[in-house]
This record gives sequence, structure tokens and C-alpha cells, in this order.
Amino acid sequence: MTEQRKPLLQLRKLKKHFPVDRNRVLKAVEDVSFTVYEGEKFGVVGESGCGKSTLGRTILQLYEASGGSCVYYGKSIQELNPRYIQDEIDKLKDYQKKAGDYYQKSLAVDAEAEKLRAQTADLDPDGNKSDEAKYIRLRKEIAKKEFESKELRKDASRQLREGSRTVGSLILCKDIDKIAELFTKAENEVRTVHQTVLKHNKIVNQIEQNEVLLDQKANVDKWIQDLEAKGSLNDQEEFELADLKAIKKNTASLDTAKLQAEIEALKPQAEQLKAEIEEHGRIEMGYRNEAFEKYRGKDILPLTELTMDPAYQAKLDRNYETGINLGKLTKQEMRSIRPDLQMVFQDPAASLDPRQSVGKAVEEVLQIHTRMSRDLRREKTLSLLHQVDLKAEHYYSYPNSLSGGMKQRVGIARAIALDPSFIVLDEAVSALDVSVQAQILQLLNRLQEEKNLTYLFITHDLGVVKHFCDRVMVMYLGRVCELSSCDDLFKKPLHPYTQSLLDAVPRMRLNQEENDDEILQGEVPSPINPPSGCPFHTRCRKCMDICKETMPKYREVEPGRFVACHLYDKEGNQNA
Amino acid sequence: MEMDKVLDVQNLHAVFRINKKEYEVLHDISFSVRRNETVCIVGESGCGKSVTTLCVMGLLPKNGRVTSGSIKLDNTELTGLPQKEIRKFRGRKIGMIFQEPMTALNPLLTVGYQMRENLILHRGVDKKKANEMAIEYLTKVGIANPEQRLKQFPFQLSGGLRQRVLIAMVLSAQPDLLIADEPTTALDVTIQKQVLALLNHLKKEMNAGIMFITHDLGVVAEIADRIVVLYAGRKVEEGTVEQIFRNPLHPYTIGLINAVPDVEKEEFVIQPIPGMFPNITEEIPGCRFNPRCPHAAECALCTKEAPKMTEAEPGHFAACHLITAGGAQHD
Repeated sequence: MTEQRKPLLQLRKLKKHFPVDRNRVLKAVEDVSFTVYEGEKFGVVGESGCGKSTLGRTILQLYEASGGSCVYYGKSIQELNPRYIQDEIDKLKDYQKKAGDYYQKSLAVDAEAEKLRAQTADLDPDGNKSDEAKYIRLRKEIAKKEFESKELRKDASRQLREGSRTVGSLILCKDIDKIAELFTKAENEVRTVHQTVLKHNKIVNQIEQNEVLLDQKANVDKWIQDLEAKGSLNDQEEFELADLKAIKKNTASLDTAKLQAEIEALKPQAEQLKAEIEEHGRIEMGYRNEAFEKYRGKDILPLTELTMDPAYQAKLDRNYETGINLGKLTKQEMRSIRPDLQMVFQDPAASLDPRQSVGKAVEEVLQIHTRMSRDLRREKTLSLLHQVDLKAEHYYSYPNSLSGGMKQRVGIARAIALDPSFIVLDEAVSALDVSVQAQILQLLNRLQEEKNLTYLFITHDLGVVKHFCDRVMVMYLGRVCELSSCDDLFKKPLHPYTQSLLDAVPRMRLNQEENDDEILQGEVPSPINPPSGCPFHTRCRKCMDICKETMPKYREVEPGRFVACHLYDKEGNQNA
Repeated sequence: MEMDKVLDVQNLHAVFRINKKEYEVLHDISFSVRRNETVCIVGESGCGKSVTTLCVMGLLPKNGRVTSGSIKLDNTELTGLPQKEIRKFRGRKIGMIFQEPMTALNPLLTVGYQMRENLILHRGVDKKKANEMAIEYLTKVGIANPEQRLKQFPFQLSGGLRQRVLIAMVLSAQPDLLIADEPTTALDVTIQKQVLALLNHLKKEMNAGIMFITHDLGVVAEIADRIVVLYAGRKVEEGTVEQIFRNPLHPYTIGLINAVPDVEKEEFVIQPIPGMFPNITEEIPGCRFNPRCPHAAECALCTKEAPKMTEAEPGHFAACHLITAGGAQHD
């Protein structure tokens, strides 16, 4: 099932560190990897300070990531034409060379370590005092060398990993220049497609605008009549009436036939451009396929000891990105992709300007990101307000006259204004009363179905997660504890932290037995100075010796269930 | 029975003056708190739960006043007392724990100074004795190495610890009534659980009544003995936890319980209460809940007459015409 779904966002070892002072960093998000699929409601839960909000902001590039990648599949490379891809293609040779160099260096260091080891063999640490001191010194040096060599190897594979993002396992091939050439050709096609797409969009917008004008001219009289038939009008309806009259004045002199003719003339142009886009897209794919067919698995350079291993090659192939790496976009490019990625904040009051009417607040979004005319924007804003169950008269209200739930609706209207595919809901319902919270959740559910949205739902409320999300990730001190489908997590939580968190949730259950042992003691440690080993071991009921020393690996214990806990190490190994 | 009532509020009415007009924010509120009992006041924001506590504490803002009714603390009438007199009760006989522990503590003074001040004022002990007692109370609320904590400033403590310090401070005055206004809302769930367990544990030994204000029904289930549900300044239902969770009578209570996405529930369909919470300036004839009530169409009285509190079963009251008209008929 997991395979069939289309990924929308893929995170690999995403990191976000904040510098605290010269020597220390606060690791707010550390090595977080997961995939969000299209049309999914993905929950992120944790206590305050676990890094869930930072994660949301890092994904949206509101914070610059300190490491790892965040790849977005909702938009094709052609539509955006990001610059970084060509830069990466130019760097391919560099990556290969550096990887080789690092590996050679590590081999040299290994040889040195070997020499030292040979020296220790002659010594007698148990009997001789001077030998003992020397032995200890040598051991220390060997350990240092071993560490150095390990780091160099890591550097080498890091270089290859970077390269494989652009060309997959082809990064290992000898003919990297020719491969780069083919990919550059493909990239040129991408550029052409991008230009054409822009032209196409402009024409489509023009057509749409003309249609709205025609619609307004045809119906404005009726709208005015409807409003006037009401008799007594409140302030907001008065405004609306004035606006409609202005529209009437503006549209009075329009030439209907001319507008219609323009639409007719533009339509074939749009068709033609569309065909061009498809044609260039085909050529582009041709170049890429050619590169893979010709070079995959052939003439592989022995850059590191792993390169001949087919499993490793397959791993590099999986790194091949067909999406857009958000972290590598320039500011300008990020801005053009922002409409796709939106955010709703926790405090609805603070996210609205108190001196801006609701209509203006929503329209502003359209004003910045689209080239719609004023009338078109107004039209769109009214339909957005309708979609979030606000009345047209709210167009003229100011935030102070709205309740918390209504303000949050305005926040949602702003977020969906540009037809995004992905929305980060950062504690979007936490500040609301239960009955209003349920209303907003219902609205979010409906919008998701209508628009095929994908949510990243950040919250501390496990109850909301249980009944709203499809999959859920539990975070503690910037790391992932557990990731699983919602049903599984609540039926059988695996990580001890998840278990304690579930125990702590206040439930509407009578005659609860108080068991003091079950209550999670202590508090979340400071992320500036996290505990060694597993970050949760200071509070864990099932803490073992190994937990205090080594960080547990994040592994898949059951299909689709990931846990980072030593309790499941053995089982995982047995199953493998 | 009468004797052990710590707090007895009868027919309390309160108004706020806004733009030279007076609006009723509390209408005919009656409830009582007995010793060793936790009464939860539940409702959404704006329902009057905080105003009720302010009335009891005598801390209403300048534009608010109690128009009628009585508030009795251990048979002493509090309404109409001059501020000077009320001050004798506040902090000593009535202790209060606030939602945001940081704003309730003075950031410039050490925890020890603030605790000692409290003890010297309310218990009349000298400084040395106060220090000993402060350590004793901090130990009681489960704070490790209290001597060291006394020397620290509030910013050095985490949210959970600050709340514990506040609880210790309130307890040290040995109050008869403890008012807790959303004391766990600002805390994480694991810390919330610790604080709730502490309050439950302390209730048994301090021989006082607790009036607990919250909007979280999950917390209510964990701590309450009895529940008072408020809606738009009126009491709509009162009963024991069992009665209210097993057999909620008022449509608002039912809606509220259904709206909570509880972890306990296996199947859950998101069921909001339709409509918006009324503004206090809004005039709603009849039952204040009728514009949002799913049963309003069935009953002719709802839009005309305010329903009276009716006892549906011993100790379980609700104000709804459907109950007065002959038993609960909600599905």
C-alpha cells in the first residue's frame, strides 16, 4: 500500500541547529527522516520543546536547515526551473574527485594506524612500567587515527550521496563528463519548457479574467437588485452595495463582443503552447533515459570500497531526486514555490493584522502572488470566505469583531487562497474551545477532501491526533521516537515514551485507578545539554545500561512502523 | 451536611458595565463546595467561570459588581464586605492557584523570600520558623532538594516546578477553600498528570474544599467529585462526575462531551455544536442555548421562557424545558 501512494514530501536526516554561544548548539531537530504522501494527514506530536514547530518551519524553509534534505514532489522541476540543478551537474566531477581523495586519505590514515598497532605488539604493558605508559599513549593515538579514518570515509560517502541526488548511481561512472553533458542538455530543455509554461499561464489568466468581466457585466444588475430587495442593510452590506455599484460603472463601457473574441483568439494559442510543453518534456526525458541506459552499472570507478557493491549502487539510485530540493532553492525561487506550501498558526489573533479588514487580509495574499485584477481578486476572496463558512459581509469586518473560531477560519482562508498542496497546521486548533475546535477540524476535513490537500498537523493533543490524522510521528528532544499509522500507535504504542505520553493524557473515564508508578516522573531535559545515549533514558521506565551509552537506531520494526528504541533491537535482528 | 459546606454561593447575579450599559454576566448561580471535595466548574471561554471565581475572591474589576445573591465562606457572608475585611480571607482562608505560574510569582524575588513572606503574614511565625516550614511544604509537593530551590529565582524553575511552588505556597496558609483556575492548561501532558496526581493526593490530607476551573473534560474526569456546567453566565447542569458523564441531561453538556476528541473513544465522528457562542451583549430570549440547541424545534417554550433548575435524580440538576416537561428524552 505504501508503495502505491505518491510521495509529496520526503525528508532525509533533516537537521536544524541553533547556535547558543560560541561552542554550543541547540539541536532542535536532529536526523528526522520521513515521507509524507499525497492527500495524507500526517500528525507530529510531542511535548513543548521537542522541536515539532521547528520541524514545520524548517520544512517550509522559514528556517534554513542545518543539514539533510527536504524534497518536494508537488511541483515538477519544469514548472520551477531551479538554478541549483545546473550547479549540481557542474559539480559532479568535483564530487567524484573529492570522494576518491577522501577515501585515499582514509586509507593512508589506516596504514598509519596499522604501523602504530605493530609497535604495540612489541610492548609488554603488563610487566614493564615504561612500556605501560607508551602502550597507553599508542592506544590513544590509534583510537584517534581510527576515528579520523572513519570520519574521512563518511566524508567520502557524503560526497557521493550529494552527487547521487542529481544522477543516481551514475555518479560512480568513469564517463562522468559525458553524463554531465547529457544532463545539461536535459536541463536546457527544462529551461525551454519553463519559459513556455510561463507564457501559457499568462494566456490562461487572461482568459479567466475576461470570463469574470463578462460574468460581472451580465449579472451585476441582478446582484444589486437582490441586495436592495432586502430593505434595511447593515454597514457591511452597504459597503457591498457601493462596491457593486462601482463594478457596474466600470463594466458599463465594456465591449462584450470584443472580450468574447479575445477569449476565442487566445484559446488556440494556449493549446499550441501546451503541445510545445509536452514535446520538450519528451525530449528532456529522452536525454535522461539515454544517460541511464548507456551508463548505469558500467565502467564503475573504484572510488571507495563500496562502489562495486550492487546494494550500494541501488542505494545511490534511490537518492536520485525527481523532486525539488527545497533547501537548495534561491530566495526568489522559494518565493515562487511558497504558494504551494502554506501554514496556519496557533494564535489566530496574532496572525492577523488588527488594522486590516478580513477581505484585505485574504486579498493581500492574491495581490502578492498572482497577477489577478482587482475585481478578480475580490471575486476569489468572496468565494474563499464562503468556502470556510464565513459570510460575504465578513469581507468588511475587522479581526476585533470576530470570535476565535472565526479568526482561525480567516487564517485558513488565507492559507488555501493560492490552491496549495501542502499545509503545515501548527497547533491550529489548540487555542480554541472544544466545540469550536470540532468545527474547525470538520472544516479542515472537508477542505482536504475537496482540494486534495496534504496536512502536516503539529499538536500536543493526542486526542485530536487519534481522530484526525492518518499517520503520526512522536518526537522527543528533537528526535523521532516512533512513526506509525494512527490506529497501530494507539492500539499498541511501542516506544516507552509514547506509552507514557498516552498514559498521561486526561481521559473522560470514570473510576480511574490512581497508580503513582505509572506517572512519568521528571521533566524534559534541556536540549542544549541533552543526555548521552537515548535522549529519553533519564525518564524511561525500561531503561537499560545500553540506553545510557548508545543512541538507538531508528528502524522499521513492523511494516510501516518505525521506532528508535533499544528494546526492539533484538527483535529487529531476529526478524531480519 | 450544612456544617461542612466551606463555600456556599446562592443566587449570585453579577453585571459588567460596558459603554454605560450594564450587561448581566452571571445569572442566578448557586453551588456549594464541601470539605474534602473537588467541584469542577466547566464551560467554554466567556461562560462566566472566571468571573465566578473573581466574585468569590472579591476581585471583580471596577466596571463589574455583584447585584444580588450571597457568597458564604464558612458561614461568613462575603458579599458587601469592604475590601479591608475581604483581605483577611484572601490568601489565608481562600487560596488561589493561577493558570500561568510565571506571572503569579515575582521574578525579582527568590522562591524562599516569597514563601517566607506568605508564612510570616498568614501564619504569624518568625523568619527562622518560616524557613523550616517552607522546606516542609516544598517537600510535601514533591520537590527534591528544597533547601536549594528556596535560594533560586522563578526563572530558574521549569513550568511544572513553578506550579508546585505555587501550590506549596497556597497550602502553607492552610486555606479552607482552594481555587484553582485552569492550573494545568499551560503545562505539558506529562507534567499535567503529575500536578493533578499531586492535587488529588493533597486533597486527602489538607481538609479543604477545592473549586477547580477548567475547560478540559478529560481533566474533570480525573479530579472532580462534582461538576457545575456553565453556559453564557447561567448554570445549565450540576451533578456528580458519574451522573454527568454517564447520563448528561442538558443538550449543551451532551454536545460538549461529544465534541471532545477523547483518546478513550474508539470510534469518533467529529460532532461540533453548531453555531457560535453568544456575546454577552446579545439578547437571547428564553433559554440562552436555544439558537444552538438540536431540540429547540421540538419545544415551544425554549424561545419564550428561561428553564428552571430541575432535579432529575438525587443531586443531579439541569435547566432544560425537555426535562421539566417529563423526563429526559435525549438520544
